[in-house]
Amino acid sequence: MLKTYINSTIFFFKQIRKTIFLNLFNTIITLLIILLISVASIHAFKWLIFKANWKVVISNLPLYAFGSFPPDEQWRPATWIISLLLLSIFTLCGPEWRWLRKNLLIVWLGTIPLGLYLLYGGLGLSPIMSRHWGGLTLTILLTVFSSLLSLPLGIVLALCRQSSLPLTQKVSSIYIDVMRAIPLIAVLFFGQLLIPLFLPLGMEIDRVWRAIFAFTLFVSAYIAEDIRGGLQSIPNTQIEAANSLGLNQYQIIQFILIPQALRIALPALTNQSIGLFQNTSLMAILGLVELLGIGRSILANPEFIGQYIEVYVWLACVYWIVCTIMAVLARHLEKRMTINQANF
Amino acid sequence: MEPIVVAKNLTKSYTKGLRALDNVSLTVDKGKVLVVMGPSGSGKSTLIRTFNGLETFDKGEINILGIKVDSTHDERKIQKIRRRVGMVFQQFNLFPHLSILENITLAPIHVQKRRQIEAEEYGMYLLSQMGIDSHAKKYPIQLSGGEQQRVAIARALALKPELLLFDEPTSALDPERINEVLDAMRTLAEQGMTMIVVTHEIGFAKDVSDQVLFMDSGKVVETSPPNIFFSNARHERSRKFLNQLDKH
Amino acid sequence: MKINQKLFLQFGICIIFFGLIGILINNLTINLIRTGLGFNFSWLFKPASFALAEHPLPYTSSDSYAWALFIGWLNSLKVIVSSLILATFLGTLIGFARTGTNSLLGLISAGYITIIRQTPLLLQLMFWYFVGFLGLKDNMFIQIKNILNISNQGIEFSGLTFSSEFLALLFGLSIFTSAYIAEVIRGGILSVSRGQWEAFRSLGISERKGLTLIILPQALPAIIPGLTSQYLNLAKNSTLAIAVGYSDIYAINDTIINQTGRAIECFIILLISFLLLNLLITNTMEIINRLILKSREYS
Ligand SMILES: Nc1ncnc2c1ncn2[C@@H]1O[C@H](COP(=O)(O)OP(=O)(O)OP(=O)(O)O)[C@@H](O)[C@H]1O
Ligand SMILES: [Mg+2]
Repeated sequence: MLKTYINSTIFFFKQIRKTIFLNLFNTIITLLIILLISVASIHAFKWLIFKANWKVVISNLPLYAFGSFPPDEQWRPATWIISLLLLSIFTLCGPEWRWLRKNLLIVWLGTIPLGLYLLYGGLGLSPIMSRHWGGLTLTILLTVFSSLLSLPLGIVLALCRQSSLPLTQKVSSIYIDVMRAIPLIAVLFFGQLLIPLFLPLGMEIDRVWRAIFAFTLFVSAYIAEDIRGGLQSIPNTQIEAANSLGLNQYQIIQFILIPQALRIALPALTNQSIGLFQNTSLMAILGLVELLGIGRSILANPEFIGQYIEVYVWLACVYWIVCTIMAVLARHLEKRMTINQANF
Repeated sequence: MEPIVVAKNLTKSYTKGLRALDNVSLTVDKGKVLVVMGPSGSGKSTLIRTFNGLETFDKGEINILGIKVDSTHDERKIQKIRRRVGMVFQQFNLFPHLSILENITLAPIHVQKRRQIEAEEYGMYLLSQMGIDSHAKKYPIQLSGGEQQRVAIARALALKPELLLFDEPTSALDPERINEVLDAMRTLAEQGMTMIVVTHEIGFAKDVSDQVLFMDSGKVVETSPPNIFFSNARHERSRKFLNQLDKH
Repeated sequence: MKINQKLFLQFGICIIFFGLIGILINNLTINLIRTGLGFNFSWLFKPASFALAEHPLPYTSSDSYAWALFIGWLNSLKVIVSSLILATFLGTLIGFARTGTNSLLGLISAGYITIIRQTPLLLQLMFWYFVGFLGLKDNMFIQIKNILNISNQGIEFSGLTFSSEFLALLFGLSIFTSAYIAEVIRGGILSVSRGQWEAFRSLGISERKGLTLIILPQALPAIIPGLTSQYLNLAKNSTLAIAVGYSDIYAINDTIINQTGRAIECFIILLISFLLLNLLITNTMEIINRLILKSREYS
């Protein structure tokens, strides 16, 4: 018992020597890094514990989470976020009931009306305008709604780009290429400015929805390309096999092509939604008070002026944690897909 | 005798001048098994794939189960044919994202609009016929080649076809897996299924087939009963080919 | 029959598509008439009457909008090219560190990559600007004999001055992009088979020589396309300049829209500017790619 312990310790140190102190050059680099890191972490700890004033974070936690949502109604966005969280956990770790798996997509889509009901109110809940939405709630709302809306649009665009009808093919190609050529902030800005111009007189869409539309238009072009990549990597023999079974064109698209393309494109798609989550922060400079926007408006408060580092470090942590959770869930999902299904 | 497949003067070229099919004519009667042989590139796949419309042709005419198709390739007639003709491919071509049972029930449910329970029951029956009903819930990648090919046969049978097409069903398999597939095909033949089989398995051709059709460069060199073809082929070209096969 | 069906489908899609476009354009014209703006580009030649802090070519506020836009385009180009070089350098170093034998370095670069990639670029830019530069307490932070001069105004280096806006953008973009480039480099290096490593080690070639002479040349074909797409992303991301007040092409379009309300025209101008930038980047990378292929043919 003791012997194996000693042996493994020796092995561990040998391993360390092999990977860190291999030769003189490496040893010098390693020592330098250790020195640098210790200095940096001592300073960081000093700052974190003695210098930093975390009041700017702690006293504003509800603001970061819900924006200016009325305090006694804040259980509503909280409920929505928690239900989303539970649903993701359930999707990944839940039991393998067949009917449930089949209806999971519908349940996910059901979170849209649920979120709208809880946030807007009505039917028993007091109505709340979208300009009171903010903080992490708004960030998640933008991410979830835009992701869910851009997936079907992306699929349609990808299919159109692959189709043999020349007009549809051209139009969707141009759309995709143009969208991918311009920066997101331009799409968002012009979404805020131009969408009202294209609407009939008297019709109005509020800022949040204009942002969601703009994000959807933008992200769907990228999703379309990911899915097109998936479509192209499906071997032609799959279509032949489906043809020989008498399936028609639409059935082949529905049952053979889209499911396989989605599965192949899954890693790219999850990356898109992680990217989207980060990019919702752009709305902070376009007038929405989502997570970063709330941070900016708190910094503008004279009480907290100049406390940039505290706020930015805190926001970075929040973004980092949510992104990492999303990435871990995504990897879990990919693994689950490949365990019981094929690599093609 | 009721002819199931009649092909008249089929001609096709992929690239100009090179004929993949050159004036091919043949007839297969109900309940008969036709084995197609020939060297690589002789047009066997092209021929068999014209019978369910996976390939078009330039000249000639086919009549499958009384449905006539000419070089205009009428999509609706082809669709009608495909519902009554099954096909098994060399590379199995199972749908990797569907379970074994789902692979089999896909067409019955969506093409024939059968009820799911009914389709699943029949699918399980077919799987047990093929001796692989224990794998119904698995996915194609989890099965061996021989098992996958038997799933592919069950999938083709699920539409209760009146004609089965096989394009080299055993050439992607390990030698020790070949027999399990051939046995399944043998059983089908005994049950009276009409089949066209592209294969180089001489044993199977000798035992099961009613006619052997030998092709070279898109042309039919000869069509003979197996006992004549393998012992005393009429054409020099066929004999040379059989010699080559024996050597392997 | 099939052709008829196709034509019919095509025709239907056509009607829906052009109908939709027609409705949108109709709404647009009504709205433009209502606001009294119309659609034209003649305003481009009127004086811009706003000042620009940074202009590589002479510019005064009496110059035309068109000239202001061109200056903005040059400013974009300036920050894109310099960040591109810095990001490639940093990214390559980190990519090597990530794949190298020193596991401590590997761990640190992995940490760097996840922190940078899992936080929004905009947040990083604001950090660099408000904390990195404006946060410098004294007016003069470092001063070395009038050669190097770092302050909250920017950096002055032997006559050349860089504004803090430019520098914050440069650092933010380079560091953000370097994390992505490091992953591209790592992917490229991993795409070379293990046999190649064993081959040069068995010949007694040192790790560093082997990496640069044997592995990297073989990894390049896998690296170049990834690099190109990262450069394109960098160009698009450079529009976040507006958050730190650097006058790039997007920021100037934004100013012009606020002044004149010509959103549609500016959108078209921005689109064209970016198509030009993208063409520039893809073509340059194409040329580099071809040069690499050529040099390999001769060697
Ligand atoms: N899609 C295609 N495009 C162009 N030429 C083709 C195509 N498919 C087949 N051919 C050509 O047509 C001829 C017949 O091909 P076919 O696949 O029918 O031969 P085969 O007898 O099945 O050969 P194998 O035993 O190798 O499967 C060959 O010369 C081949 O090169
Ligand atoms: Mg073949």
